Amino acid sequence: MSTAILDSAPTGVLELRGIHQLYGTGDAQVHALRGIDLSVAAGEYLAIMGPSGSGKSTLMNLLGCLDVASSGKYSLAGHDVNEMDEKALARVRNKEIGFIFQSFNLVNRMTAVANAELPLVYGGVRRLERRQRALEALEMVNLSHRADHLPQALSGGQQQRVAIARALVTNPTLLLADEPTGNLDSESTHEILAIFDQLAAAGRTIVIITHEEEVAARAHRVLSISDGLIVSDRTNPRRTLR
Amino acid sequence: MRLIDILQSALRGVTSNKLRSVLTLLGVLIGVASVILLMAVGNGSAAKIRAAITSLGTNTITVRANGGSSTTGSSAITLAVSKQLEAAGLGHVTNVVPQATTSLTVSSAGASEDAISIIGTSADYFTVSTATVASGSAFTADDVASAAKVAVIGSTLATELFPSASALGQSISIDGTPFTVVGILATQSSVGFTDPNTEVIAPISRIQRSYTGFGAVSSLLVQAKDSDSVTAAEGEVTVELNQLLGVSSTAATSASASGSGRTSGLASQVSATSPFTVTDQSSLLQTQAESADSFTALLAAVAAISLLVGGIGVTNVMLVTVTERTREIGIRKALGATRGAILGQFLAEAATLTLVGGILGVIIALVLAQYPFNGTQPVVIGYSIPLALGVSVAIGVFFGVYPAARAAGMRPIQALRSI
Ligand SMILES: Nc1ncnc2c1ncn2[C@@H]1O[C@H](COP(=O)(O)OP(=O)(O)OP(=O)(O)O)[C@@H](O)[C@H]1O
Ligand SMILES: [Mg+2]
Repeated sequence: MSTAILDSAPTGVLELRGIHQLYGTGDAQVHALRGIDLSVAAGEYLAIMGPSGSGKSTLMNLLGCLDVASSGKYSLAGHDVNEMDEKALARVRNKEIGFIFQSFNLVNRMTAVANAELPLVYGGVRRLERRQRALEALEMVNLSHRADHLPQALSGGQQQRVAIARALVTNPTLLLADEPTGNLDSESTHEILAIFDQLAAAGRTIVIITHEEEVAARAHRVLSISDGLIVSDRTNPRRTLR
Repeated sequence: MRLIDILQSALRGVTSNKLRSVLTLLGVLIGVASVILLMAVGNGSAAKIRAAITSLGTNTITVRANGGSSTTGSSAITLAVSKQLEAAGLGHVTNVVPQATTSLTVSSAGASEDAISIIGTSADYFTVSTATVASGSAFTADDVASAAKVAVIGSTLATELFPSASALGQSISIDGTPFTVVGILATQSSVGFTDPNTEVIAPISRIQRSYTGFGAVSSLLVQAKDSDSVTAAEGEVTVELNQLLGVSSTAATSASASGSGRTSGLASQVSATSPFTVTDQSSLLQTQAESADSFTALLAAVAAISLLVGGIGVTNVMLVTVTERTREIGIRKALGATRGAILGQFLAEAATLTLVGGILGVIIALVLAQYPFNGTQPVVIGYSIPLALGVSVAIGVFFGVYPAARAAGMRPIQALRSI
């Protein structure tokens, strides 16, 4: 572990310094992130807002270790992500992070419970325990009665709940959700936000991207991004980190 | 990721897309089966010729009289010439057997067979040729001396003439003259055009007296000391016969000179002026065996092409699958799958498909090889099984794993975005 990280204060679960992300080359080059400095403390519930194309998903993919920044420093729970090898990154994705995608990203030919089990398969958990924990996770999102359905037999809201169950099944310290309610009706949105509230109350660190004020209103802290830069960072007076 | 989970997800991959699996399986199956079968057919025909060579005996030489006026002139090969040749004490020759052949009607009390080949020969015939007496006994030198009316007949002829009882001791009529059957030959494999199992073999003295006359004999069967001295024996026989028959020395020289060209595949020593031809049949068959071997090689090439085509089919299916499933690879990576786990899954999948297809192909080939193909019994070549299996599995596994390896090496977000 480098001393620079230990020296940098304040130390959060997520520490980003001077993050730039460039896509493409030449005339087609897009500067998606232009210098992001961000610190997220343990147990914080953070909402990221901003217009379409402002770089929210780009940032989220970096946080989830699904992509690598062009430049800048990112450390996760004190570990420099740039210095992690392929195996270590896979471990972090598996054990530390639960990622919820805007487009669900379920494996279509696997049942709800098999999808929810998938992270445990890569975590080397035994079959019986795996099934048990996946069912518990589905129970949490009120979907145990659909455990043996394939994704195409589920509604959008139900699919997103399977994806949430999958993100929760490993008990990750960090939950990242990219517009989890973007495709859902208001009822499903409420159900899912209620789950997030519970998780936040239980002390999980949550980062959520949203376009909806209603969703952002539940977070402890709201970040606004525009054109690859953080333009505002305010704490929610009604809901603060205890 | 645990091994059992890798296998289970591979099995799920195989069963979840049945059409793809069946196509892959078929490609491998057909490739493997055709390689093994085609090589077996080629090998079978070569084996048939090799069997014919050994049944002929590898150390016999045939001296055939060239037709025309010489058969009656001073240069005819008569029984006397045959005896002189044997008495000459040639170093590489152990036996000289004269053969006077004709073709006649042979009948028993109940049956009659036309155009049966009758061989008049000496008692040594049974030691020189590969014909063996299965029941009864061969005729003796005494029988030959006394021109006895005895005959040894082929097994097929024996059952044709005497369908209900043993032919042994029975009387047969050759063109009206009665002969006693003293022996029946063991069944032999057929070489060339005549079926050795329908022949009649009798003392040459009797055949000459009753049918062919005492002039030239048809051929001499010369036994060389061993298969290595066949060439030397050919030379000796040529020189000695030229001398005995008073053929000019130039003709004799040219005949024996061409005799040294045995390895070139040219089995006969033919000279325009020579009254006889020395034939080494085993070398003739050798060239046949060589052409059978090249036939096998040709079939193997055809088989290799079919294996390749099958392999391309498998490759195609695998490539499409992996492209289709790159997104799935992205999802799995995002959930914490390592490169190794992804590779393991695709490797197990490809290996399962190609191995099952390959083993089915082997089984089908082994079953089909039980049945003769175009008159030839296929003989499976042992190494063709691991060869065909190995190549097809290698192709399937390589093209199943290689694109997956590429996808597994991507960042999760790249794989997720790819479709
Ligand atoms: N793989 C890529 N290649 C090239 N450009 C990209 C790529 N991914 C994103 N971009 C660009 O980067 C910018 C930021 O994209 P990003 O997906 O982060 O936006 P966003 O804020 O999530 O938008 P939305 O609210 O519509 O989801 C956009 O201009 C986009 O075109
Ligand atoms: Mg986005």
